[in-house]
Amino acid sequence: MNWKNIRLIFLREVRDQLRDRRTLFMVAVLPLMLYPALGIGMLQMTLLFTEQPRTVVILGEKHLPQPQLLDGDRFVSNWFINPDDASKLKVITDGSANEPSGDSAADERQTRLIGQAKALRTRVDEHAAKKAELDQLEVELRNLLKAAPTNAELGIGAEAATPVGQTTSSKLTELTKKIGDLKAKLVVIDHDLSDLFAASQIQVLIVVPDGLKENIERVNHLIAEREMQSDGLMSYPRPTIVKNRADDKSVVAYSRVREVLDAWEQEILRQRLSSANLPQELPNPVGSLQMDLAAEEQLSANVWSKMFPALLVIMAVTGAFYPAVDVAAGEKERGTMETLLICPATRTEIVLGKFLTVMCFSVSTALLNLMSIGMTGNYMLSARGAGAGAMAKMGEVSLPSLPALAWLLALLIPLSALFSALCLALATFARSSKEGQYYLTPLLMVSIGLTVFCLSPAVEIYPVHQASWFYSVMPVVGIALLLKALLLNPGNTEALIFAGPVLVTSIGYSLLALWWAIEQFSSEGVLFREGERFEPALWFKHLLRDKEPTPSFTEAGFCFVMIMLAQFASMRAFGQSIAFVAPEQMGEAMMRLLVIQQIAIIACPALFMGLILTTSVRQTFRLRWPGWRFVVIAALLPFTLHPLSLELVASLSWFFPQLPEGAARLMKTMSDHGQPLWLILLSFAAAPAICEELAFRGFILTGFSRNGRTGLAIGISAVTFGVMHMIPQQVFNATLLGLVLGLIAARSGSLLPGVVFHFLFNSMAVVRERVGTALADGHMEELQQSAWRWFVSIEPSGLRYGWPTLLICGASSTLMLLWVARHSQVQTCSAASHPMFADKLAAVKTIVKPQA
Amino acid sequence: MIRVTELTKGFDDLRRGWVAALDNVSFEVHPGEIYGLLGPNGAGKTTCLRILSTVLRPTGGSATIAGYDVTTHPTEVRQRIGFMSNNTGIYDRMTAWEMVEYYGRLYGLSEDVLKRRLDSIFTTLQMHDFRDTLGAKMSTGMKQKVSIARAIVHDPPVLIFDEPTSGLDVLVARKVLSTVQSLKDQGKCIIFSTHIMREVEKLCDRIAIIHKGSILASGTLPELQDKYEQPDTEELFFDLIEQHDGEEARSSKSETRRANGDGLSVNQD
Repeated sequence: MNWKNIRLIFLREVRDQLRDRRTLFMVAVLPLMLYPALGIGMLQMTLLFTEQPRTVVILGEKHLPQPQLLDGDRFVSNWFINPDDASKLKVITDGSANEPSGDSAADERQTRLIGQAKALRTRVDEHAAKKAELDQLEVELRNLLKAAPTNAELGIGAEAATPVGQTTSSKLTELTKKIGDLKAKLVVIDHDLSDLFAASQIQVLIVVPDGLKENIERVNHLIAEREMQSDGLMSYPRPTIVKNRADDKSVVAYSRVREVLDAWEQEILRQRLSSANLPQELPNPVGSLQMDLAAEEQLSANVWSKMFPALLVIMAVTGAFYPAVDVAAGEKERGTMETLLICPATRTEIVLGKFLTVMCFSVSTALLNLMSIGMTGNYMLSARGAGAGAMAKMGEVSLPSLPALAWLLALLIPLSALFSALCLALATFARSSKEGQYYLTPLLMVSIGLTVFCLSPAVEIYPVHQASWFYSVMPVVGIALLLKALLLNPGNTEALIFAGPVLVTSIGYSLLALWWAIEQFSSEGVLFREGERFEPALWFKHLLRDKEPTPSFTEAGFCFVMIMLAQFASMRAFGQSIAFVAPEQMGEAMMRLLVIQQIAIIACPALFMGLILTTSVRQTFRLRWPGWRFVVIAALLPFTLHPLSLELVASLSWFFPQLPEGAARLMKTMSDHGQPLWLILLSFAAAPAICEELAFRGFILTGFSRNGRTGLAIGISAVTFGVMHMIPQQVFNATLLGLVLGLIAARSGSLLPGVVFHFLFNSMAVVRERVGTALADGHMEELQQSAWRWFVSIEPSGLRYGWPTLLICGASSTLMLLWVARHSQVQTCSAASHPMFADKLAAVKTIVKPQA
Repeated sequence: MIRVTELTKGFDDLRRGWVAALDNVSFEVHPGEIYGLLGPNGAGKTTCLRILSTVLRPTGGSATIAGYDVTTHPTEVRQRIGFMSNNTGIYDRMTAWEMVEYYGRLYGLSEDVLKRRLDSIFTTLQMHDFRDTLGAKMSTGMKQKVSIARAIVHDPPVLIFDEPTSGLDVLVARKVLSTVQSLKDQGKCIIFSTHIMREVEKLCDRIAIIHKGSILASGTLPELQDKYEQPDTEELFFDLIEQHDGEEARSSKSETRRANGDGLSVNQD
């Protein structure tokens, strides 16, 4: 690799991008202009909003008690928490209506409003009267029912038995009828009221009843004299506040009125208590104290820790998006790609140069955006004294501290690298910029989905919990969550233990994506894709007509997607089918389901695709006899590999999230002694051994290895095999096994050794648990005294293996796998079946020399 | 300088299945010679030249340029060729000077050599007037000159021109052809593809008539005219193509082109 070339390409691409107005706009102009513009817009909105005072009408102003509530056409400003709010409510009273202000328009409006308010008041009074009547009738009805419950029941249900019953029942019907009538009338009044209220320009109407002032003074006096025995002490008419909860303006005005009235009422109460020589704490017997430990910088850290990781992810991906499309698909579109390909720079150098360019823009976009948001936000909040009252509640938000920013930068780089490589690979595949944008949109959506996931307060990496380690190795999520923890508390040394896995895996993912981008760039099919019209019918015909002995790479990938989709689609159906099974039959039902699932979802898609899309079923599914040595090794390997895999997964149990309930239940049926062994072996060992081997080592591995790169094919097929298992623990385990199975299948050229291995391996798992529990009953002590204790131990979960066993197993497994890797029984050259490749076959013959 | 032996390239096509874009093509080109590939569109000319420029990999046969195999030593091959076609565009946001300079650096020229080389190329091709014009603002003729300058900036011994005049107006085309002629006079080994008879007659020392991936005939123009007793190049060309198509139609009835059945297995035990 020539770094000079990479540098040359990088510098040229950066200059090219900087000369492109679109990129500059996206990367620099937009972040620098957008957020201040948004800020100004927001400020203006709040100003516009505050300039609209709401109308409150008070009828019966003269009956308001002391202290003073009103000051001209406003509430007295010290009743508000924020005195400025007084200007947001305009108060019109029937008292002030008599004093002409000189402004004829305002006077007219005032008179109109008072008129509307009075019309409303008559309805309100009517409503109150009817409501009182209704309440009284309902009390009567309740008393009646209480007095003669049985009679009442009879009276309503059938003919009355006694004369007394008869009168009661007639009374009852009468009452019910009256109540019904009243309710109907109330509905009409309410309807009227709400129509009138909506037609008026009043947001809140307060009706103060006659004599409120006197009543309150009277009660104050009575309390001061300690003469509180009289029954109706507090039952004087109260004010009514009319509002409309469905109208936003009314809601806002009401909340302010509520604030004022509460403060005012508190003051009246205070006066009442002090005039009566009673303690101020009288109305608050509990009166708990509040203690808020959030310090200012913590509050702001909280804001940043929520906002920055999310923004960082979205900005890093958008920053990579446009330059990637331009340097890859754009270059194809403009016809300069071929020019570049014939220069001495290798494909890897070209990709690296372009990748660094994209990454550079991704990082700078993210940083510029964050900077601009931070600055704007800070400025706006500091300017809130100058009128932006709406934001007063957000608290002080200072910029993150320096160590936090350093972490931000450190984590941004692997994040940008991953997105840049992914974008570049996808954009390389595209024929034009337009197509590139289509391919990249899903990436954007997935990143936004992940971001939303990370924003949830329940998802965090620190404090350490069951899924922490698992989160830390997930792409994007690990970085976002670590950043969240570090921004919240930059000195958090405990969260730093995750920095290692997060950085290592992120760099790993980036390298993988970069490798994919280089692969894309080296594929002539991708670089010289013709702009053909896509015709499904033609394509389908092509698939069926130009069949080849074995499936293609794409067909293998499609098969995997089909299996995953079928699994997803059947999840619900399978869940429902065991939902109503009796608990004692649950195990059997689940196992039956497992067999059906294996056959229907895993084996069938692969078999059908094999029959339809290939000419040689034998070759596709590797249906041939292997050398006997392969079978022997495949039969021995499970016994040495199973202890290793078991102990490995057990030692990593801290890493994975807990098993989902369903899976745990399924595991339990495996060791359930109530089930016949043959059934368990059939469902857990035989069915997977045959079905999964047909699909994953048959169709999928054969398809993947078509272009001659067996190692890569084994790797990909192992990953697909892992992913199919869904549960993280099993995904990990199955991927490792997939590598072994893939190697055996590729080297032996037959499916049989794989089936044998798979069956025995799964059987081991079943038998281990059974043996474990069986041994635990009787032979426990015997075992503990013999030399065997060095090799095996028994725990509640089943048989466990000691380190000498593992050492032996490890050594023998390695030897056997090495033997398999070195002995290729058959070199299947599917390409050789084509006349075009006759000459290539000769080359293959000379390259592959017998090693035995 | 260029040696092509039984070169074959097949690809998968939706409509036709497996297609041989190039089928057992062999020829040689020497220094100081212009070798013409004459054929209709879709004959396999571009595929052949792309393989020579290491952008595509052959599925069979081999090709060497200045002694280096295109599949095993692509970097060495790329160092020694200049490639220009109607597909090799120039960057919109780079000036003529920057563009040629950039490629000069990629070819590893030292700064002072590069400077001298650029000056002489810009002078011979009369490009000084627009050396600071951005690619987006250039006329077709200017662009073509930049492409040629880009292809010869490292003074390669082998030059590959893939229909360099297609889509050009007559004046620009004439300039391009005269440049090719002068490059030949400098002793370069040149391979030149076209579907225009006049260009072949004017420029090429030897030609190959290529159709549907196969070379139908090759040699100097007088040789071919003698051999097929057809003094008119154009008639000669059409005769050969018609003859080939007729033969193919007859043979396709008797023989199925595609082999069937299982892949071959090579037992190693």
